[in-house]
Amino acid sequence: MAEPAVNRSFVKLAGVGHRYDPNPAIPPAVTGIDLDIHRHEFVAVVGPSGCGKSTLLRMIAGLLKPSEGRVTVFGRAVDGPRDDVGIVFQKPTLLPWLNVRKNVLFPLRHKYGRYNREDEARADALLAMAGLEAFARKMPDELSGGMQQRVGIVRALLLNPDILLMDEPFSALDAMTREQIGFDLLSLWQEQPKTVLFITHSIAEAVLLADRVLVMSRRPGTVLDLIDVDLPRPRTTHTISDARFGELTDRIRKHIYEPDAA
Amino acid sequence: MSLTLPEGRLRRVLLGASPWLFFVALIAVWEVGCRLFSVPAYILPAPSVILNAFFDVEFSRWMQHLWATLRVALLGFLISIAVSIPIAIAMMRSEWLSRTLYPLLVVIQSTPVVAVAPLIIVIMGSDDPSRILITCLLTFFPLVVSTATGINETPPELIELSRSLDAPTRRETWQIRMPYAIPHIFSGLRVAITLAIIGAVVAEFVAAEEGLGYFIQFSTSFFRIPQAFAGLFFLAVVSLLLFKSVQWAQQLLFPWSLPRKGA
Repeated sequence: MAEPAVNRSFVKLAGVGHRYDPNPAIPPAVTGIDLDIHRHEFVAVVGPSGCGKSTLLRMIAGLLKPSEGRVTVFGRAVDGPRDDVGIVFQKPTLLPWLNVRKNVLFPLRHKYGRYNREDEARADALLAMAGLEAFARKMPDELSGGMQQRVGIVRALLLNPDILLMDEPFSALDAMTREQIGFDLLSLWQEQPKTVLFITHSIAEAVLLADRVLVMSRRPGTVLDLIDVDLPRPRTTHTISDARFGELTDRIRKHIYEPDAA
Repeated sequence: MSLTLPEGRLRRVLLGASPWLFFVALIAVWEVGCRLFSVPAYILPAPSVILNAFFDVEFSRWMQHLWATLRVALLGFLISIAVSIPIAIAMMRSEWLSRTLYPLLVVIQSTPVVAVAPLIIVIMGSDDPSRILITCLLTFFPLVVSTATGINETPPELIELSRSLDAPTRRETWQIRMPYAIPHIFSGLRVAITLAIIGAVVAEFVAAEEGLGYFIQFSTSFFRIPQAFAGLFFLAVVSLLLFKSVQWAQQLLFPWSLPRKGA
Protein backbone atom coordinates (compact mmCIF):
# COMPACT_ATOMS: atom_id res chain seq x y z
CA MET A 1 0.00 0.00 0.00
CA ALA A 2 1.27 3.46 -0.84
CA GLU A 3 0.20 5.52 2.14
CA PRO A 4 3.30 5.31 4.31
CA ALA A 5 2.70 8.56 6.18
CA VAL A 6 -0.65 7.33 7.48
CA ASN A 7 0.42 3.75 7.80
CA ARG A 8 3.14 4.43 10.24
CA SER A 9 0.89 4.97 13.18
CA PHE A 10 -2.82 4.52 13.10
CA VAL A 11 -3.53 3.92 16.76
CA LYS A 12 -0.99 5.58 19.01
CA LEU A 13 -0.65 5.05 22.76
CA ALA A 14 1.75 7.44 24.46
CA GLY A 15 2.52 6.74 28.11
CA VAL A 16 -0.99 5.44 28.65
CA GLY A 17 -2.08 4.20 32.04
CA HIS A 18 -5.19 3.77 34.12
CA ARG A 19 -5.88 3.45 37.82
CA TYR A 20 -9.28 2.40 39.12
CA ASP A 21 -8.46 3.33 42.71
CA PRO A 22 -7.36 6.91 43.41
CA ASN A 23 -5.41 5.70 46.47
CA PRO A 24 -1.72 6.07 45.43
CA ALA A 25 -0.72 3.11 47.62
CA ILE A 26 -2.58 0.79 45.27
CA PRO A 27 -0.72 0.27 41.98
CA PRO A 28 -2.53 1.32 38.79
CA ALA A 29 -4.00 -1.36 36.56
CA VAL A 30 -1.89 -0.29 33.59
CA THR A 31 0.92 2.23 33.37
CA GLY A 32 3.33 3.73 30.86
CA ILE A 33 2.19 1.89 27.75
CA ASP A 34 3.74 3.11 24.50
CA LEU A 35 2.48 1.49 21.37
CA ASP A 36 2.08 2.38 17.72
CA ILE A 37 -0.29 0.22 15.76
CA HIS A 38 -0.08 0.52 11.99
CA ARG A 39 -3.03 0.65 9.74
CA HIS A 40 -4.36 -2.84 8.99
CA GLU A 41 -1.93 -4.38 11.40
CA PHE A 42 -2.84 -7.34 13.60
CA VAL A 43 -1.49 -6.84 17.11
CA ALA A 44 -2.00 -9.42 19.82
CA VAL A 45 -1.68 -8.67 23.52
CA VAL A 46 -0.68 -11.43 25.94
CA GLY A 47 -0.03 -11.30 29.65
CA PRO A 48 -1.01 -12.91 32.94
CA SER A 49 -4.57 -12.58 34.25
CA GLY A 50 -5.34 -9.20 35.71
CA CYS A 51 -2.49 -7.42 33.93
CA GLY A 52 -4.83 -4.84 32.50
CA LYS A 53 -5.18 -6.15 28.96
CA SER A 54 -8.90 -5.44 28.92
CA THR A 55 -8.33 -2.03 30.49
CA LEU A 56 -6.04 -1.21 27.58
CA LEU A 57 -8.68 -2.31 25.09
CA ARG A 58 -11.38 -0.24 26.80
CA MET A 59 -9.19 2.86 26.66
CA ILE A 60 -8.68 2.44 22.92
CA ALA A 61 -12.44 1.89 22.50
CA GLY A 62 -13.08 5.14 24.34
CA LEU A 63 -15.08 3.34 27.03
CA LEU A 64 -12.53 4.26 29.68
CA LYS A 65 -10.55 7.47 30.05
CA PRO A 66 -6.81 6.97 30.59
CA SER A 67 -5.66 8.52 33.87
CA GLU A 68 -2.22 9.12 32.35
CA GLY A 69 -0.94 9.51 28.80
CA ARG A 70 -2.90 9.84 25.59
CA VAL A 71 -4.62 7.57 23.11
CA THR A 72 -4.90 8.92 19.58
CA VAL A 73 -6.52 7.31 16.59
CA PHE A 74 -5.62 8.71 13.20
CA GLY A 75 -3.99 11.66 14.95
CA ARG A 76 -7.08 12.55 16.95
CA ALA A 77 -7.37 12.07 20.71
CA VAL A 78 -9.89 9.47 21.84
CA ASP A 79 -12.32 11.10 24.23
CA GLY A 80 -15.39 8.89 24.05
CA PRO A 81 -16.94 5.94 22.23
CA ARG A 82 -16.09 6.00 18.53
CA ASP A 83 -18.13 4.62 15.69
CA ASP A 84 -15.13 3.32 13.75
CA VAL A 85 -14.48 0.67 16.38
CA GLY A 86 -15.98 -2.83 16.49
CA ILE A 87 -15.72 -4.84 19.68
CA VAL A 88 -15.84 -8.61 20.08
CA PHE A 89 -16.21 -9.77 23.66
CA GLN A 90 -15.14 -12.90 25.46
CA LYS A 91 -18.70 -14.19 25.46
CA PRO A 92 -20.66 -13.85 22.20
CA THR A 93 -23.27 -11.72 24.03
CA LEU A 94 -25.92 -12.22 21.38
CA LEU A 95 -29.44 -11.12 22.23
CA PRO A 96 -31.44 -14.30 22.85
CA TRP A 97 -34.69 -12.85 21.47
CA LEU A 98 -33.27 -11.99 18.03
CA ASN A 99 -32.30 -14.40 15.29
CA VAL A 100 -28.76 -14.44 13.92
CA ARG A 101 -29.46 -11.92 11.15
CA LYS A 102 -31.22 -9.49 13.46
CA ASN A 103 -28.41 -9.86 15.97
CA VAL A 104 -25.93 -8.89 13.29
CA LEU A 105 -28.06 -5.87 12.38
CA PHE A 106 -28.59 -4.95 16.03
CA PRO A 107 -25.79 -2.31 16.26
CA LEU A 108 -27.54 -0.26 13.55
CA ARG A 109 -30.97 -0.59 15.10
CA HIS A 110 -29.48 0.26 18.47
CA LYS A 111 -27.45 3.24 17.34
CA TYR A 112 -29.81 4.80 14.78
CA GLY A 113 -33.13 3.10 15.52
CA ARG A 114 -33.42 1.66 12.01
CA TYR A 115 -31.62 0.03 9.08
CA ASN A 116 -32.30 -0.15 5.36
CA ARG A 117 -32.13 -2.68 2.53
CA GLU A 118 -28.47 -1.96 1.88
CA ASP A 119 -27.60 -2.68 5.49
CA GLU A 120 -29.49 -5.95 5.27
CA ALA A 121 -27.62 -6.89 2.10
CA ARG A 122 -24.37 -6.07 3.85
CA ALA A 123 -25.30 -8.23 6.84
CA ASP A 124 -26.15 -11.10 4.50
CA ALA A 125 -22.84 -10.71 2.66
CA LEU A 126 -20.91 -10.73 5.92
CA LEU A 127 -22.81 -13.79 7.13
CA ALA A 128 -22.02 -15.56 3.87
CA MET A 129 -18.36 -14.62 4.19
CA ALA A 130 -18.29 -16.18 7.65
CA GLY A 131 -20.06 -19.30 6.34
CA LEU A 132 -23.16 -18.54 8.37
CA GLU A 133 -25.78 -17.91 5.65
CA ALA A 134 -27.59 -21.16 6.48
CA PHE A 135 -27.98 -20.01 10.09
CA ALA A 136 -29.32 -16.52 9.44
CA ARG A 137 -32.84 -17.37 10.70
CA LYS A 138 -31.71 -19.50 13.65
CA MET A 139 -31.96 -18.29 17.21
CA PRO A 140 -28.67 -17.93 19.11
CA ASP A 141 -29.34 -20.85 21.45
CA GLU A 142 -29.64 -23.16 18.44
CA LEU A 143 -25.98 -22.48 17.61
CA SER A 144 -22.79 -23.94 19.05
CA GLY A 145 -20.44 -21.70 21.04
CA GLY A 146 -18.08 -21.36 18.07
CA MET A 147 -20.92 -20.40 15.74
CA GLN A 148 -22.21 -17.84 18.24
CA GLN A 149 -18.80 -16.22 18.45
CA ARG A 150 -18.62 -16.07 14.65
CA VAL A 151 -21.90 -14.17 14.74
CA GLY A 152 -20.34 -11.89 17.36
CA ILE A 153 -17.45 -11.16 14.97
CA VAL A 154 -19.79 -10.53 12.04
CA ARG A 155 -21.82 -8.15 14.24
CA ALA A 156 -18.63 -6.23 15.10
CA LEU A 157 -17.86 -5.91 11.37
CA LEU A 158 -21.31 -4.59 10.40
CA LEU A 159 -20.52 -0.90 10.76
CA ASN A 160 -17.35 -1.52 8.74
CA PRO A 161 -15.07 -0.29 11.51
CA ASP A 162 -11.44 0.63 10.88
CA ILE A 163 -10.46 -0.91 14.17
CA LEU A 164 -11.49 -4.29 15.50
CA LEU A 165 -10.95 -4.77 19.22
CA MET A 166 -11.17 -8.36 20.40
CA ASP A 167 -11.19 -9.16 24.12
CA GLU A 168 -10.21 -12.83 24.52
CA PRO A 169 -12.82 -13.72 21.93
CA PHE A 170 -12.03 -17.44 21.70
CA SER A 171 -11.25 -18.26 25.31
CA ALA A 172 -14.62 -19.91 25.95
CA LEU A 173 -14.23 -22.29 22.99
CA ASP A 174 -12.73 -25.77 22.86
CA ALA A 175 -9.22 -26.13 21.42
CA MET A 176 -10.22 -27.44 17.98
CA THR A 177 -12.97 -24.90 17.37
CA ARG A 178 -10.61 -22.25 18.59
CA GLU A 179 -7.92 -23.05 16.04
CA GLN A 180 -10.42 -23.20 13.17
CA ILE A 181 -12.13 -19.93 14.08
CA GLY A 182 -8.67 -18.32 14.34
CA PHE A 183 -7.89 -19.25 10.75
CA ASP A 184 -11.34 -18.09 9.68
CA LEU A 185 -10.70 -14.75 11.36
CA LEU A 186 -7.44 -14.43 9.42
CA SER A 187 -9.15 -15.05 6.09
CA LEU A 188 -11.87 -12.52 6.97
CA TRP A 189 -9.14 -10.05 7.91
CA GLN A 190 -7.35 -10.70 4.62
CA GLU A 191 -10.55 -9.99 2.68
CA GLN A 192 -11.53 -6.95 4.73
CA PRO A 193 -8.32 -5.51 6.14
CA LYS A 194 -8.76 -3.97 9.58
CA THR A 195 -6.52 -2.75 12.33
CA VAL A 196 -6.90 -5.48 14.93
CA LEU A 197 -6.08 -5.49 18.62
CA PHE A 198 -6.49 -9.04 19.82
CA ILE A 199 -6.28 -9.87 23.51
CA THR A 200 -5.61 -13.47 24.43
CA HIS A 201 -4.36 -15.78 27.16
CA SER A 202 -2.90 -18.15 24.61
CA ILE A 203 0.69 -17.51 23.58
CA ALA A 204 0.41 -19.89 20.62
CA GLU A 205 -2.75 -18.14 19.41
CA ALA A 206 -1.08 -14.74 19.63
CA VAL A 207 1.92 -15.85 17.56
CA LEU A 208 -0.21 -17.75 15.08
CA LEU A 209 -2.48 -14.80 14.29
CA ALA A 210 -0.58 -11.57 14.85
CA ASP A 211 1.95 -9.38 13.08
CA ARG A 212 3.26 -8.23 16.42
CA VAL A 213 2.76 -9.47 19.96
CA LEU A 214 2.73 -7.14 22.94
CA VAL A 215 3.76 -8.94 26.11
CA MET A 216 2.50 -7.34 29.30
CA SER A 217 3.71 -7.74 32.86
CA ARG A 218 1.82 -8.52 36.01
CA ARG A 219 -0.05 -5.68 37.70
CA PRO A 220 0.71 -2.85 37.23
CA GLY A 221 0.61 -3.77 33.56
CA THR A 222 3.58 -2.49 31.58
CA VAL A 223 5.12 -3.50 28.27
CA LEU A 224 7.65 -6.29 28.76
CA ASP A 225 8.34 -6.90 25.11
CA LEU A 226 7.01 -6.15 21.66
CA ILE A 227 7.77 -9.00 19.32
CA ASP A 228 7.72 -8.94 15.53
CA VAL A 229 6.20 -12.15 14.28
CA ASP A 230 8.15 -12.71 11.08
CA LEU A 231 6.23 -15.81 10.05
CA PRO A 232 5.00 -15.86 6.44
CA ARG A 233 1.33 -15.35 5.61
CA PRO A 234 -1.07 -16.91 4.97
CA ARG A 235 -0.67 -18.72 8.25
CA THR A 236 -1.84 -22.33 8.23
CA THR A 237 -1.58 -25.39 10.44
CA HIS A 238 1.94 -25.76 8.97
CA THR A 239 2.91 -22.49 10.63
CA ILE A 240 2.65 -24.22 13.99
CA SER A 241 5.31 -26.78 13.05
CA ASP A 242 7.67 -24.04 11.83
CA ALA A 243 10.81 -23.84 14.02
CA ARG A 244 10.48 -20.07 14.17
CA PHE A 245 6.99 -20.45 15.67
CA GLY A 246 8.55 -22.44 18.53
CA GLU A 247 11.27 -19.84 19.07
CA LEU A 248 8.79 -17.00 19.25
CA THR A 249 6.42 -18.75 21.63
CA ASP A 250 9.40 -19.70 23.83
CA ARG A 251 10.54 -16.11 23.95
CA ILE A 252 7.09 -14.99 25.15
CA ARG A 253 6.80 -17.86 27.58
CA LYS A 254 10.08 -16.83 29.21
CA HIS A 255 8.67 -13.35 29.81
CA ILE A 256 5.57 -14.73 31.43
CA TYR A 257 7.09 -17.46 33.57
CA GLU A 258 10.48 -15.95 34.48
CA PRO A 259 9.94 -12.21 34.20
CA ASP A 260 13.23 -11.44 36.00
CA ALA A 261 15.40 -13.67 33.83
CA ALA A 262 14.11 -12.13 30.61
CA MET B 1 -34.70 -52.82 23.51
CA SER B 2 -38.21 -53.48 22.20
CA LEU B 3 -39.25 -54.62 25.68
CA THR B 4 -38.24 -51.39 27.39
CA LEU B 5 -40.11 -49.12 25.00
CA PRO B 6 -43.69 -49.72 26.17
CA GLU B 7 -42.39 -49.64 29.71
CA GLY B 8 -40.86 -46.24 29.04
CA ARG B 9 -44.10 -44.99 27.54
CA LEU B 10 -46.12 -46.34 30.46
CA ARG B 11 -43.74 -44.59 32.82
CA ARG B 12 -44.24 -41.31 30.99
CA VAL B 13 -48.02 -41.66 31.04
CA LEU B 14 -47.96 -42.46 34.76
CA LEU B 15 -45.66 -39.53 35.41
CA GLY B 16 -48.03 -37.20 33.57
CA ALA B 17 -51.15 -38.58 35.23
CA SER B 18 -49.79 -38.91 38.75
CA PRO B 19 -50.76 -35.44 40.01
CA TRP B 20 -54.33 -36.02 38.79
CA LEU B 21 -54.43 -39.52 40.25
CA PHE B 22 -53.16 -38.17 43.54
CA PHE B 23 -55.80 -35.44 43.53
CA VAL B 24 -58.57 -37.95 42.79
CA ALA B 25 -57.27 -40.25 45.53
CA LEU B 26 -57.23 -37.37 48.00
CA ILE B 27 -60.86 -36.53 47.19
CA ALA B 28 -61.79 -40.21 47.50
CA VAL B 29 -60.15 -40.51 50.93
CA TRP B 30 -61.91 -37.34 52.01
CA GLU B 31 -65.30 -38.62 50.81
CA VAL B 32 -64.87 -42.06 52.36
CA GLY B 33 -63.50 -40.59 55.59
CA CYS B 34 -66.46 -38.23 55.97
CA ARG B 35 -68.96 -41.02 55.39
CA LEU B 36 -67.15 -43.61 57.50
CA PHE B 37 -66.80 -41.38 60.57
CA SER B 38 -70.08 -39.49 59.91
CA VAL B 39 -68.33 -36.11 60.10
CA PRO B 40 -71.05 -33.44 60.30
CA ALA B 41 -71.24 -31.18 57.26
CA TYR B 42 -70.86 -28.02 59.36
CA ILE B 43 -67.39 -29.21 60.43
CA LEU B 44 -66.05 -30.84 57.26
CA PRO B 45 -68.48 -31.47 54.41
CA ALA B 46 -67.77 -34.39 52.08
CA PRO B 47 -66.77 -33.50 48.48
CA SER B 48 -70.15 -34.73 47.20
CA VAL B 49 -71.94 -32.39 49.61
CA ILE B 50 -69.75 -29.48 48.48
CA LEU B 51 -70.51 -30.31 44.84
CA ASN B 52 -74.24 -30.26 45.57
CA ALA B 53 -73.87 -26.96 47.39
CA PHE B 54 -72.08 -25.56 44.36
CA PHE B 55 -74.98 -26.42 42.07
CA ASP B 56 -77.53 -25.17 44.59
CA VAL B 57 -76.27 -21.68 43.99
CA GLU B 58 -77.52 -20.16 40.78
CA PHE B 59 -75.01 -19.86 37.95
CA SER B 60 -75.78 -16.15 37.47
CA ARG B 61 -74.98 -15.54 41.14
CA TRP B 62 -71.63 -17.31 40.79
CA MET B 63 -70.86 -15.13 37.79
CA GLN B 64 -71.87 -11.99 39.66
CA HIS B 65 -69.47 -12.83 42.53
CA LEU B 66 -66.75 -13.96 40.14
CA TRP B 67 -66.96 -10.73 38.16
CA ALA B 68 -66.80 -8.62 41.32
CA THR B 69 -63.63 -10.36 42.51
CA LEU B 70 -62.06 -10.63 39.08
CA ARG B 71 -62.48 -6.99 38.13
CA VAL B 72 -60.84 -5.83 41.37
CA ALA B 73 -58.02 -8.39 41.11
CA LEU B 74 -57.30 -7.73 37.43
CA LEU B 75 -57.55 -3.95 37.62
CA GLY B 76 -55.30 -3.97 40.68
CA PHE B 77 -52.90 -6.27 38.86
CA LEU B 78 -52.80 -4.08 35.74
CA ILE B 79 -52.38 -0.83 37.67
CA SER B 80 -49.65 -2.52 39.66
CA ILE B 81 -47.80 -3.42 36.46
CA ALA B 82 -48.22 0.10 35.11
CA VAL B 83 -46.79 1.58 38.32
CA SER B 84 -44.08 -0.88 39.26
CA ILE B 85 -42.25 -1.25 35.93
CA PRO B 86 -41.61 2.51 35.53
CA ILE B 87 -40.55 2.66 39.19
CA ALA B 88 -38.11 -0.20 38.63
CA ILE B 89 -36.69 1.50 35.53
CA ALA B 90 -36.37 4.82 37.34
CA MET B 91 -34.66 3.11 40.26
CA MET B 92 -32.23 1.46 37.87
CA ARG B 93 -31.43 4.77 36.18
CA SER B 94 -30.86 6.75 39.37
CA GLU B 95 -29.00 5.48 42.41
CA TRP B 96 -30.36 8.40 44.40
CA LEU B 97 -33.95 7.41 43.64
CA SER B 98 -33.20 3.80 44.38
CA ARG B 99 -31.74 4.67 47.78
CA THR B 100 -34.66 6.96 48.56
CA LEU B 101 -37.48 4.68 47.47
CA TYR B 102 -36.25 1.26 48.42
CA PRO B 103 -36.69 1.65 52.23
CA LEU B 104 -40.21 2.96 51.66
CA LEU B 105 -41.04 -0.01 49.47
CA VAL B 106 -39.74 -2.40 52.11
CA VAL B 107 -41.86 -0.66 54.77
CA ILE B 108 -44.96 -0.97 52.57
CA GLN B 109 -44.20 -4.59 51.86
CA SER B 110 -43.55 -5.56 55.49
CA THR B 111 -46.73 -3.91 56.77
CA PRO B 112 -49.44 -6.60 56.79
CA VAL B 113 -52.00 -5.48 54.23
CA VAL B 114 -54.71 -7.31 56.19
CA ALA B 115 -54.10 -4.86 59.03
CA VAL B 116 -54.14 -1.81 56.78
CA ALA B 117 -57.18 -2.85 54.75
CA PRO B 118 -59.82 -1.68 57.28
CA LEU B 119 -58.15 1.73 57.49
CA ILE B 120 -58.11 2.09 53.72
CA ILE B 121 -61.81 1.21 53.59
CA VAL B 122 -62.53 3.80 56.31
CA ILE B 123 -60.55 6.48 54.50
CA MET B 124 -61.58 5.73 50.91
CA GLY B 125 -64.99 4.15 51.35
CA SER B 126 -66.10 0.62 50.57
CA ASP B 127 -66.13 0.84 46.79
CA ASP B 128 -63.96 -0.67 44.09
CA PRO B 129 -61.18 1.96 44.28
CA SER B 130 -60.25 1.08 47.85
CA ARG B 131 -60.32 -2.64 47.07
CA ILE B 132 -58.14 -2.04 44.01
CA LEU B 133 -55.69 -0.05 46.14
CA ILE B 134 -55.43 -2.94 48.60
CA THR B 135 -54.72 -5.29 45.70
CA CYS B 136 -52.07 -2.93 44.35
CA LEU B 137 -50.32 -2.66 47.70
CA LEU B 138 -50.02 -6.42 47.80
CA THR B 139 -48.88 -6.99 44.22
CA PHE B 140 -46.58 -4.18 43.30
CA PHE B 141 -43.60 -4.98 45.51
CA PRO B 142 -42.79 -8.38 43.95
CA LEU B 143 -43.14 -6.74 40.54
CA VAL B 144 -40.73 -3.91 41.34
CA VAL B 145 -38.21 -6.34 42.80
CA SER B 146 -38.37 -8.83 39.94
CA THR B 147 -38.19 -6.11 37.28
CA ALA B 148 -35.26 -4.41 39.01
CA THR B 149 -33.48 -7.76 39.40
CA GLY B 150 -33.99 -8.57 35.74
CA ILE B 151 -32.79 -5.17 34.60
CA ASN B 152 -29.63 -5.51 36.67
CA GLU B 153 -29.03 -9.03 35.40
CA THR B 154 -28.20 -7.73 31.91
CA PRO B 155 -24.71 -8.93 30.92
CA PRO B 156 -22.24 -6.04 31.40
CA GLU B 157 -20.78 -6.71 27.95
CA LEU B 158 -24.08 -5.74 26.34
CA ILE B 159 -24.12 -2.49 28.28
CA GLU B 160 -20.59 -1.89 27.00
CA LEU B 161 -21.70 -2.71 23.48
CA SER B 162 -24.46 -0.16 23.86
CA ARG B 163 -22.05 2.42 25.23
CA SER B 164 -19.49 1.73 22.51
CA LEU B 165 -22.23 2.45 19.97
CA ASP B 166 -23.03 5.67 21.80
CA ALA B 167 -26.72 4.69 21.73
CA PRO B 168 -29.31 6.74 23.62
CA THR B 169 -30.15 5.47 27.13
CA ARG B 170 -33.76 5.05 26.05
CA ARG B 171 -32.73 2.39 23.54
CA GLU B 172 -30.38 0.77 26.02
CA THR B 173 -33.36 0.38 28.34
CA TRP B 174 -35.90 -0.84 25.79
CA GLN B 175 -33.72 -2.85 23.40
CA ILE B 176 -31.39 -4.49 25.91
CA ARG B 177 -32.30 -4.17 29.57
CA MET B 178 -36.08 -4.66 29.42
CA PRO B 179 -36.01 -7.76 27.19
CA TYR B 180 -33.37 -9.22 29.50
CA ALA B 181 -35.73 -8.58 32.40
CA ILE B 182 -38.65 -10.42 30.75
CA PRO B 183 -38.10 -13.82 32.41
CA HIS B 184 -37.77 -12.09 35.79
CA ILE B 185 -40.79 -9.88 35.17
CA PHE B 186 -42.87 -12.95 34.38
CA SER B 187 -41.85 -14.76 37.52
CA GLY B 188 -42.93 -11.60 39.33
CA LEU B 189 -46.21 -11.57 37.40
CA ARG B 190 -46.94 -15.16 38.38
CA VAL B 191 -46.50 -14.28 42.05
CA ALA B 192 -48.43 -11.03 41.64
CA ILE B 193 -51.50 -12.55 39.96
CA THR B 194 -52.11 -14.93 42.86
CA LEU B 195 -51.49 -12.08 45.32
CA ALA B 196 -54.01 -9.99 43.36
CA ILE B 197 -56.72 -12.55 44.11
CA ILE B 198 -55.68 -12.59 47.77
CA GLY B 199 -55.82 -8.79 47.85
CA ALA B 200 -59.30 -8.71 46.35
CA VAL B 201 -60.57 -11.35 48.79
CA VAL B 202 -59.02 -9.60 51.80
CA ALA B 203 -60.70 -6.36 50.73
CA GLU B 204 -64.04 -8.16 50.40
CA PHE B 205 -63.63 -9.64 53.88
CA VAL B 206 -63.43 -6.12 55.26
CA ALA B 207 -66.35 -4.58 53.40
CA ALA B 208 -68.24 -5.71 50.31
CA GLU B 209 -71.67 -6.69 49.04
CA GLU B 210 -70.49 -9.11 46.39
CA GLY B 211 -67.48 -11.12 45.33
CA LEU B 212 -66.19 -14.61 46.04
CA GLY B 213 -64.46 -13.53 49.24
CA TYR B 214 -67.67 -11.90 50.43
CA PHE B 215 -69.57 -15.05 49.45
CA ILE B 216 -67.28 -17.29 51.50
CA GLN B 217 -67.46 -15.03 54.54
CA PHE B 218 -71.21 -14.61 54.24
CA SER B 219 -71.74 -18.37 53.90
CA THR B 220 -69.51 -19.11 56.87
CA SER B 221 -71.28 -16.63 59.11
CA PHE B 222 -74.60 -18.32 58.30
CA PHE B 223 -73.06 -21.76 58.92
CA ARG B 224 -73.50 -22.75 55.30
CA ILE B 225 -70.18 -24.55 55.44
CA PRO B 226 -70.60 -26.68 52.27
CA GLN B 227 -71.44 -23.50 50.37
CA ALA B 228 -68.35 -21.77 51.79
CA PHE B 229 -66.22 -24.71 50.65
CA ALA B 230 -67.77 -24.53 47.20
CA GLY B 231 -66.84 -20.84 47.02
CA LEU B 232 -63.33 -21.65 48.20
CA PHE B 233 -62.82 -24.28 45.50
CA PHE B 234 -64.21 -21.99 42.85
CA LEU B 235 -61.77 -19.31 43.97
CA ALA B 236 -58.86 -21.76 43.92
CA VAL B 237 -59.72 -22.83 40.36
CA VAL B 238 -59.97 -19.21 39.21
CA SER B 239 -56.65 -18.36 40.84
CA LEU B 240 -55.01 -21.37 39.21
CA LEU B 241 -56.39 -20.43 35.79
CA LEU B 242 -55.06 -16.89 36.14
CA PHE B 243 -51.66 -18.23 37.15
CA LYS B 244 -51.69 -20.50 34.09
CA SER B 245 -52.79 -17.59 31.87
CA VAL B 246 -49.67 -15.67 32.84
CA GLN B 247 -47.59 -18.67 31.80
CA TRP B 248 -49.49 -18.97 28.53
CA ALA B 249 -49.01 -15.28 27.85
CA GLN B 250 -45.26 -15.71 28.29
CA GLN B 251 -45.23 -18.72 25.97
CA LEU B 252 -47.23 -16.84 23.37
CA LEU B 253 -45.50 -13.46 23.50
CA PHE B 254 -41.93 -14.28 24.53
CA PRO B 255 -41.21 -17.92 23.66
CA TRP B 256 -37.46 -17.26 23.68
CA SER B 257 -37.61 -16.30 27.37
CA LEU B 258 -38.47 -19.87 28.39
CA PRO B 259 -35.83 -22.57 28.62
CA ARG B 260 -35.81 -24.53 25.36
CA LYS B 261 -37.37 -27.96 25.75
CA GLY B 262 -34.77 -30.73 25.50
CA ALA B 263 -34.48 -32.05 21.94
